[in-house]
Amino acid sequence: MKSSSWEGRAGLLLVLPPLIVLVLLILVPAGQAIVSTLRVEKDGHVVYSLARYTEILHTISLRRSVGFTVRVTIASAVATFGLAYPLALYLRFTKGWVSTLLGALFIVPLFIPTVIASFAMTTFLVNHGYVGTLLHYVGIEDMPSLVYNATGIVLTEVWASIPFATLVLLAGLQGIDDALIESARDVGAGPMRTFLAVVLPLNMVATVITVSLLFIGILGSFTIPYLVGGNAPQMLSVVMTNYFGSYLRPDISVGLAVITFAIASLAGVAYVVGVSRRERHAI
Amino acid sequence: MSVTTDTIPRSGGGGGWFWFWSIDAFRRSLGLLFLIALAVFILGPLLSLILWAFAGEWFYPAVLPQVFSLKWWTVVLGNRSVVDSIRYSLMTAPTVTVLSAIICLPAAYAFARFEFPGRKVLLLSFLSANSFPKIGLYISIATLFYRMNLMTTFWGVVLIQLVSTLLFMIWIPTGTFRGINRSLEEAARDVGASGLRTFFKITLPIAMPGLLVAGLFAFLAAFDEAQGTLLVGSPNFITMPVMMYTLVLNYPQPVGAVFSILLTLPSLVLLLLAQRFLRQGYLAAGYTL
Repeated sequence: MKSSSWEGRAGLLLVLPPLIVLVLLILVPAGQAIVSTLRVEKDGHVVYSLARYTEILHTISLRRSVGFTVRVTIASAVATFGLAYPLALYLRFTKGWVSTLLGALFIVPLFIPTVIASFAMTTFLVNHGYVGTLLHYVGIEDMPSLVYNATGIVLTEVWASIPFATLVLLAGLQGIDDALIESARDVGAGPMRTFLAVVLPLNMVATVITVSLLFIGILGSFTIPYLVGGNAPQMLSVVMTNYFGSYLRPDISVGLAVITFAIASLAGVAYVVGVSRRERHAI
Repeated sequence: MSVTTDTIPRSGGGGGWFWFWSIDAFRRSLGLLFLIALAVFILGPLLSLILWAFAGEWFYPAVLPQVFSLKWWTVVLGNRSVVDSIRYSLMTAPTVTVLSAIICLPAAYAFARFEFPGRKVLLLSFLSANSFPKIGLYISIATLFYRMNLMTTFWGVVLIQLVSTLLFMIWIPTGTFRGINRSLEEAARDVGASGLRTFFKITLPIAMPGLLVAGLFAFLAAFDEAQGTLLVGSPNFITMPVMMYTLVLNYPQPVGAVFSILLTLPSLVLLLLAQRFLRQGYLAAGYTL
């Protein structure tokens, strides 16, 4: 048998390389970003203040972007969740060919890179695109634009996030013992009551993980708002990329990045707590 | 059981409202409607994309292109920067995957098999890769890369793509190693096999499917990574997904469509090859991270 001190040292040594990568590529940049936005030069020496954030929030276009980003992110996350939950329930509790086909269908976007999904969505939704053509034959000509605006972003985010959300929720639902559901039915609970009293609470951890990851993922996505979004207002991801490259104001860009960290922080904590609770046996 | 149900008065008022849920035909037709709507929503954009890739002429409001043609394929494959982007993608993604495996797999084994102080916290700390909004994190990394002269370099691109592979390469293999029954290894040790021999003859082959799936996820994450690579790599290292931005924004629609198909091919080929390993459990494992 190995001695435990040998095991301890070997373990730490093996874990060290990815840990260094984690620290250098995630924790240091994030920490540095937060600190650097608080350092402001004033009368020749550096002081710590929130001046940069006041500047950002006093710029009307940036303030609008923050609001727009939060609204679009919440709308996309809610829409995806609202679609994925019934889908996961159906896949878990219904057998048959419809269920099998649905199971094969919902997974498709997983294999399509986001860049392509965004482009495909624009060709599909754009004026005189496929949807427009089909509507033309039904006799509908005047449609509000479905793409290059918030609607387009939400639709594409939903498209791209369905597989992930459904997979996580489904994995949670599959962990619920059939016997529990049957016993609820045996004491006379209908489908709705069984869902509210048994399924929903038992699937809570998966729900928390899904919602928080959806929120963080959509908030931090660049490709979809860049290709499917409009010119104004833009999502923060697009605005901060512009400030970084085109406008040569990396300080504003990093400030916006930190604002997204702050917006996502609650979801980030919920995600880590959720995974650690679900993986309790595995950790 | 059903006998007792009938004798007990229905208490839950909420249940009674959804009595129609118990009717099989209702459930089936609802499922069918859902299936059709979802099929249109998910497959519609892809279908339109495929049609565009083979469209010579397609004017509104025709349902199908008036003229089918392969001319855009020659345009795309004859474009110098497109070919370069394919080369760059084939350079970076495998490098990232191999590097990620070298760094992470020994750690995953340690997380699964060794007891050491702080093990749980360290394993959980890798979740932070997912707890930051990606683009904000990439901007932060890019400002650091500026000072380290890593911008527009090959290794800068490799490092930024490494970020999204870490979690896959740590968590999936940790779960895999953990799931291997130790009695098999102990049996090998009992008949005199050395530790190393046991690892390569017993542990590794059993773990292989899980490790391959982790590698597949890491490869696809690196291969499809566009936002960080755009930030760090351009204008020197334009990989395929970054090239796609240019093609979508500056070229006629069929060009983007043709390139989309080229860009999807590696994912599709890899997924077909790895199909037998990709049971839903593994997929879920990858995507819940």
